[in-house]
Amino acid sequence: MLGFVARRLLYLLPVLLAVSLLTFLIASLLPGDLAYVILGDQATPEKVEALRHDMGLDQPILIRYLGWLGHILQGDFGRSFRTGQTVLQAVGERLPVSLELMILAEFLGLLIGVPLAIACAAKAGGAFDRFMTSTAFGMLSVPTFLSAILLIYLFAVELHWLPATGYVPLSEDPIGNLRFFVLPALTLALAEWPGIMRVLRSDLITTLQEDYIALARAKGLTPRRILFVHALKPSSLTLVTITGINIGRLIGGAVIVETIFALPGIGRLLVSAIGTRDLIILQGVVLLVAAGFVIMNFVVDMLYAVLDPRIRHGHA
Amino acid sequence: MKAPTRPRKLAPIFLVTAFAIGASIGTAHAQKQGGSITVGQELDIPGFDPLKVGVYDTSANTAAAAIFDTLTGMDDKGEPEPRLALSWSHSDDFKTWTFKLRPGVKFHDGTPFNAQAVKENFDRQKDPANKCRCAFYIAFIHDVQAPDELTVVYNLNDPSVNLPAILTIQSSNNVIHSPTAWKTKGDDYSRNPVGTGPYILKSWTAGDRMVLEKNPDYWNKGHPYLDRIILKPLPDTQSRFASLQSGEADVIWDDEYDADSILKAQKDPKLAVNTYKGSGAAVYAFNTKTPPLDDVRVRQALVMALDRKKMSQAITNGLARPATNPYGDGSWVKCKDDGALPEDPDKAKVLLKAYGKPVDFKMLVTATPRGRTVGQVLQQLWKRVGANMEIEQVDQATIPPRAFMRQFQVTPWRIVDLADPDPQMYANFHTGSPVALANYSDPELDRLLEHARNTADIAKRTEDYCAISRIINQQAIWFWTFQNTYYSLSSARVKGLPKMYNGVIDVSDAWLE
Repeated sequence: MLGFVARRLLYLLPVLLAVSLLTFLIASLLPGDLAYVILGDQATPEKVEALRHDMGLDQPILIRYLGWLGHILQGDFGRSFRTGQTVLQAVGERLPVSLELMILAEFLGLLIGVPLAIACAAKAGGAFDRFMTSTAFGMLSVPTFLSAILLIYLFAVELHWLPATGYVPLSEDPIGNLRFFVLPALTLALAEWPGIMRVLRSDLITTLQEDYIALARAKGLTPRRILFVHALKPSSLTLVTITGINIGRLIGGAVIVETIFALPGIGRLLVSAIGTRDLIILQGVVLLVAAGFVIMNFVVDMLYAVLDPRIRHGHA
Repeated sequence: MKAPTRPRKLAPIFLVTAFAIGASIGTAHAQKQGGSITVGQELDIPGFDPLKVGVYDTSANTAAAAIFDTLTGMDDKGEPEPRLALSWSHSDDFKTWTFKLRPGVKFHDGTPFNAQAVKENFDRQKDPANKCRCAFYIAFIHDVQAPDELTVVYNLNDPSVNLPAILTIQSSNNVIHSPTAWKTKGDDYSRNPVGTGPYILKSWTAGDRMVLEKNPDYWNKGHPYLDRIILKPLPDTQSRFASLQSGEADVIWDDEYDADSILKAQKDPKLAVNTYKGSGAAVYAFNTKTPPLDDVRVRQALVMALDRKKMSQAITNGLARPATNPYGDGSWVKCKDDGALPEDPDKAKVLLKAYGKPVDFKMLVTATPRGRTVGQVLQQLWKRVGANMEIEQVDQATIPPRAFMRQFQVTPWRIVDLADPDPQMYANFHTGSPVALANYSDPELDRLLEHARNTADIAKRTEDYCAISRIINQQAIWFWTFQNTYYSLSSARVKGLPKMYNGVIDVSDAWLE
């Protein structure tokens, strides 16, 4: 097992290195030289030249990358040229918001998706199953920005039940905090539940055809007990994977949702960093998010190995 | 003198015609004390230290108007009025201005406000070692002296007949910071600003909200009215308006590209639409050194092909006001004859035929939905008269350098709402200026620009500026599409919002009904 973990950790290094290189290249290749951005409407050729020199932008891209990487290895991700905040400060301030949004969205997604999947699988091919399957298809094709605006108009503008935008920290006002998170989390969950439902539904249907389920039926167990106790647990393995991978998708969704609902999370930080060409923040945040994602997947791999001995022995 | 980046401010307008629906200045006894409002802004504010952020955007201006004071303010008629300065006088050549300061004013941290503080603010921005981007906008000021505790003297490189009006806008150049605060807080100062203004920064969560509390020791007794102002960035246009409708925000920033919300707010009795018709315009420069734009007939034809009403309808639902000169209705420059070419597509076709060669050229357009829309509408209008314009989409940040290097044929630019036409007109049209983008030189134009800058008499200056407009319009070296109109939408309960000079929402003296 230890050997397996060590091997996996070794794989992680080149992946992280590649991520950092890509991040740096993408940020450097964005149109709009940083010197021009900083100088704005005073970007005369002489001033641009001088600033590029000061910032080391006139050096070859490889040298700049290695310099950046060197600082990161010492824990220095750089500082925003606009706000003076360090990348770690900015991410530290905003990470709790995005994490809370992700957890709530995933929770709501499961809350909607799991019961529906069970209900569908219980009478697979029935009217309810067919209705929900097509609804799920429909929901999958509704973009987040549309459902966000619709939810705002319904629950904030028309019904006045929930706030349209805004945020209070959890530590300051837990109830208020949840009120602000309901609509954004629901928006993301609306895009999440169809996937959850469809995966769990088909796994459940497969499981329900297994011999031991037939045996349980023959023993006279109630359908309810068979469904919840005997079928649900073995059908959940794919769901766990999906839930893990979804975290990555949710980061993408958070960019839009945080902007619409004015939540001060990582997504907003990214959007404003792109808008203002705050490349230091942009590179740092993308790298941290990507590293987080890679490490998440590493943890999922480890979980599998724990769950299934064949994987850790390299037979699967 | 400005690229069409997001509106960024120098100074407000001198004399304006403006109107406000719903938000009136009100009678003196009507103001109520207490309460709190939330302002929904377009952008995240990066900070307040001029050395760090360079220039403030309109969102930062709103906060700066509450936290800081300027030497002078702008009254409802567009005349400068006393703030931190009580009175002022100038030398005959308008190159030396002396301000007498208000005694007994203290910064929020207890530091006394005096002439030395004003001088230190200026020197810090001017010091070449500090490399402040803000220094560009004070290049016309040579130095600031503090001969005694309550007197400051501005010595200018170029004459400025309107300096007190130029100092009114709540820009990074004009607001007065506590020297003690920036010295003791260092890198942290930018996000912990200290001024003398009516509100004190209480807390600020990045990307979320800034809480401003009433300054109990404000020098203007009885002001401000509100106990608290909360500023929030609400970056999405639609949810920003929804927040106003649902009550999370009491005042929001908006512009005419969001015509739907403005029209909806006009119909909603609970909401008010505040409009300010500023001076200046959205403008475009022809590079007159590149064919086919080196031929005056081609340039005239392209201008005559513009159907601004149709453009306004297509882009802003008819809200945008067509412009025929660079000053606009909001300026004190009123011309009987600004020399504008008529809208005449038939004449345009004739002129292009007379030119004889195919008219193909490229236009720079910002790679944003708005930039593309405007570009496509112009393309269609020009196509109708037989000219082929190719759209070249570029990043917003690359327009200034391309313009400086004259690497364009047509480029968008902007003349912002300033107190005086001189700074921008001189920069945009005087021979040899880095932003005289048309590459066009005319001794008569130069003479008029110089005369207008050295003259105090409004009538004579107006004559000069109208003559300048006639030359530019007739030679068609630049053209103007729409005048600057600024919008804020608010709950009808919010009163006391002044005119949006320079597009700034100033809530520092607002109250709730």
